Amino acid sequence: MKLNLATAMSNKLALIGGCVTGIVALAVVFGPWLSPYSPTEADFLALLAPPSLSHPLGTDSFGRDVLTRVLYGARISLAVSISGVLAAAVFGVIIGMMAAWRGGLWSAVAMRFCDLLFSFPSFVLALFMMVVLGYGVVNIAIAIALIYMPIFARLSRNMALLVKDEPYVHAAILMGQPTHSVLLREILPNIAAPVFVQIALGVAFGIVIEAGLSFLGLGVQPPNPSLGTIMADGREYFQRAPWVLTLTGMVVSIALLGLNLLSDGLRDVMDPKLRARL
Amino acid sequence: MRELISLLARVAQGAGAILLLALLGAAAVFFAMRAGHGDPALAVLGDMATPETIAAFRLKWQLNDPLLVQFWRWLSGALIGDFGASMVVATGEPIVKLVGSRLPNTLFVGAYALALALVISLIAGTISALRHGKLIDSASTSLAVLGISMPDFWLSYALIYALALGLGIFPSYGFTTPSLSLAGALYSGFLPALAIAAPMAAAFTRILRTALLETLFRDHVRVARSLGHSENFIFLHHVFRNALIPYVTVIGLQVRYLLGGTVVVERIFGVNGVGSLMVDAAFARDYPLVQACALVFLACVLLVNFAVDLICTRLDPRRA
Amino acid sequence: MNRRNALGLIGGSIGAAALPWGTTAAWAQAQTLRAGVTGFTVINTLDPAKASLIPENYIMYGIFNALLKFNDKMEVVGDLAESFQAIDATTLEFKLRRGVKFQDGSDFTADDVKFSIERVADEKTASPNRSKVAPISEIKIIDPFTVRIVTKAPYGPLINYLTNTRTGTQIISRKALEAMGPEAFARRPVGTGRYMVKEWKPNEGVELVGFPGAFEGAPKIMSVNCPFIAEESSGMTAILGNQIDLTSTAPFADVPSLEKRSDVKVLKQPGLNTRYIALNNKRAPFDDVHFRRAVSMAFDRDLLVKAVIFGEGVVTPGVLPPAHWAEGKPVASDFLKFNPEKARAEMALGKYKAGQEGVVLIWGSNWWRRIGEIFVGQVNQVLGTKLTLQAMDFNAAFARAKAGDYDAMVMGWLGLVDPDEYIGEMLGSKGFRNIHHYSSAKMDAILDRGRAEVDRAKRFAVYREAEMLAIEEMPVLSCFTSNVHNLTRPNLKGFTQMAYSNFADQFGTITLS
Repeated sequence: MKLNLATAMSNKLALIGGCVTGIVALAVVFGPWLSPYSPTEADFLALLAPPSLSHPLGTDSFGRDVLTRVLYGARISLAVSISGVLAAAVFGVIIGMMAAWRGGLWSAVAMRFCDLLFSFPSFVLALFMMVVLGYGVVNIAIAIALIYMPIFARLSRNMALLVKDEPYVHAAILMGQPTHSVLLREILPNIAAPVFVQIALGVAFGIVIEAGLSFLGLGVQPPNPSLGTIMADGREYFQRAPWVLTLTGMVVSIALLGLNLLSDGLRDVMDPKLRARL
Repeated sequence: MRELISLLARVAQGAGAILLLALLGAAAVFFAMRAGHGDPALAVLGDMATPETIAAFRLKWQLNDPLLVQFWRWLSGALIGDFGASMVVATGEPIVKLVGSRLPNTLFVGAYALALALVISLIAGTISALRHGKLIDSASTSLAVLGISMPDFWLSYALIYALALGLGIFPSYGFTTPSLSLAGALYSGFLPALAIAAPMAAAFTRILRTALLETLFRDHVRVARSLGHSENFIFLHHVFRNALIPYVTVIGLQVRYLLGGTVVVERIFGVNGVGSLMVDAAFARDYPLVQACALVFLACVLLVNFAVDLICTRLDPRRA
Repeated sequence: MNRRNALGLIGGSIGAAALPWGTTAAWAQAQTLRAGVTGFTVINTLDPAKASLIPENYIMYGIFNALLKFNDKMEVVGDLAESFQAIDATTLEFKLRRGVKFQDGSDFTADDVKFSIERVADEKTASPNRSKVAPISEIKIIDPFTVRIVTKAPYGPLINYLTNTRTGTQIISRKALEAMGPEAFARRPVGTGRYMVKEWKPNEGVELVGFPGAFEGAPKIMSVNCPFIAEESSGMTAILGNQIDLTSTAPFADVPSLEKRSDVKVLKQPGLNTRYIALNNKRAPFDDVHFRRAVSMAFDRDLLVKAVIFGEGVVTPGVLPPAHWAEGKPVASDFLKFNPEKARAEMALGKYKAGQEGVVLIWGSNWWRRIGEIFVGQVNQVLGTKLTLQAMDFNAAFARAKAGDYDAMVMGWLGLVDPDEYIGEMLGSKGFRNIHHYSSAKMDAILDRGRAEVDRAKRFAVYREAEMLAIEEMPVLSCFTSNVHNLTRPNLKGFTQMAYSNFADQFGTITLS
């Protein structure tokens, strides 16, 4: 009885999370069209204006509307994070499933490679990729993909190992289904739920990684905004215009809060057993 | 006795795996670094670099040799504990000494952060689970999610402006090495440790709460309750012990975020640790130093995960 | 251990700690000056002949003296030399101070002068400053306290190059160097200055201790900690939180708000530096003089000063920083003024049209990147070009500049004292700062005249000519000169700021009340 109560409560939080995520998603998709300002064009008559009705989050050192930049920046940050995490999911799941299904040298090597990636502190790996590959959105996505790939590989390998011995998988093999079809039709759908949860969590953390890299000046290149570059900018003139860093940071936190609450709820609904937040 | 032997065997096996992975990682770092742009000579010589001084630098550090020769030179040194000297960040300084003097700071701040995260999560997670559904549970759950939703650098600045410059309780910058003064290190390390700990504390709290809730209503707990054991006894011996396994596992998984977090936070708070050293080394293309720092980080992650494995095995012998 | 003991231990250990913790140790702070080197974390050497990085010089200024120095009016006066005079067009005679001791206790004589400067000139030393002293043909010791420096031809910049600035000609103890060897000397240098290195923690900071026997007198504060602080904004929070007493720079954006505060003092003045956009004169599109001029008129330098450094500086009128001794009346040229119509007309004369592509490399901190951001935005708007930005770290960008593999790049030089270092090294065909691949026989001829001229007023006229040519041909786009800043605690007195970004040379007179 009591457990149900707890579930209900977490679902309520999930609902809030879903609403916040939904609002953020709508704002990110449609907001830039509604905004009368350009995210990149400077207005040097309105440098560092404090928050007002016409500029709810104030303006930055170029006189650009911070809210508009946050909306555009969120698009870029989200795109970077989502593409990085999706790439990680695709490659990770392939490696994990192959490792569980077949074993053998190839998958052993792939899993060891994932182990190796997993042994690097996440931000150290990201920073390192930036120095080696150079700065830019694509390289951030690659760094996020490399951070997350081992997590997906491990997760899907462990899940696939459990599913592999289920009767319906044996039945499919006995009925002569080809390997790729067994993997895609029988195994993949049964490990999909935790993978989705992990993707949602990964996207939230990917945004933090992007923000950290851009904060050190390694991330998205100007004049394009990203959440990290806007905050890094705001940090620079924090004394003079504290709203840029403070308000942007709060917007980011609220958005991530929504995303995290949603993925928590998803996890409870889809797979109560998946406990570890990787 | 047999237990001890099997433990030793596991340790030996683990050490072998750690060594292998660490070496592979070092090789990856070595070749990736050299494939990228940049030139350590320019970092040392700065805006006054001339072709002659650059040539002299490359000759001195044997940078004109084939890559494989350079790698072998590095590897053969590393295997006997000689990581060479820093090229740029601290020209000529033996890396063992350099990293050795910084590692205690990073380990201290890291352990401090871990301890803070553990304390916060043990309290918050337990209260949350025991009072689940109540206001305090909602509050701590929401706070936990907020914790993982704040970029660490943002939190760092919030802490500096609120607690250091605003209230003046903590220093805004600088860190006292623990070997000089433990009290000073605990005091000056509090804000950086808290900035790193917040997202971890959040993750730990969530996992502990879920794990506790799951075990609270398991059959063996009901049996214990029906046998008339006190609630405290049941909680400690049946519930908590079982919930510890996922909790400890998550610690292992979070170590890579913890050590990653030190990179930015050390820079903001002026902690002279391996993280900030590695940032400087990477920007300056100080190849041997980057390799050594990467190796240290790798070793830390691998060792902690290995320790977590051992603890989990002890907690749950079925896993062995 | 009780609380009192714990505090005592901490207080006693402050001399060795990078930074003391908190306010309880206030009594100990009075003995130690905490001077943060902000924005830098790397020092490679403290050997004047080898040093090239700005923070290395910050520290060396306090360890060494040179023959000459600048006074607070930026006039060259004697330092280790009591007086100096020209014997003929190619010979300068220096009368040295008597009774000066090096930090190792040995006596300073003419032999050390000869040794120090010849060492910089020696190819084997591979000094980055070799070209500054290369024209010297002979250093004659007349007696232990008289030296004559003879050059092959009249050499105007020489007296500036013998000052205690970024010149490498600081006088070292020959005895110490020969006894220690150059490697050890670079870590524990021996000069005549008021401070000696007590401990140098690579990448963390330098601790200095006063030299009681210094000829300028023992310093008022004997112990100085110079922690390296990577982020300028961290330097600011450190000084506001009373973790340090003095910084070497300040974040531009915060200067106005810091000036209003009572718990910190802001020192500032126009600096000796130049911030500009380097152009690759050998590669499209900046190989076309009309395009270069068009671009120069297509962006607003006043705006850069306003939006990039928040008014903390001035537009560079020509190529030289206005604070420079050679700078008199501002150069007036239409090519330096923002004028969209003229810019478009000028572009029409050349071979590149609207839609022209090009990449501007940017690097470094945020404010520094904004130069490129504004520049590209405005030029594209005015000329219809398609210039783009590429961000990288300094090392990668500088490596590409050195290799000539770039179109344009945001650049700057700091703390140079002679006009030849700006125009000659930047635009002379053999100048080592000439990453622009600019080569002009006319310019080289003017620069040769400037070097050969020893009279200040006449040199000024020659470099003005060089500036006018540089504006005509526009091999680089000068942008602005920023102020130099130091932040100090309100109780700090005795630090005189100089335009070339000085630092440790002033520690000896500092008091903390």
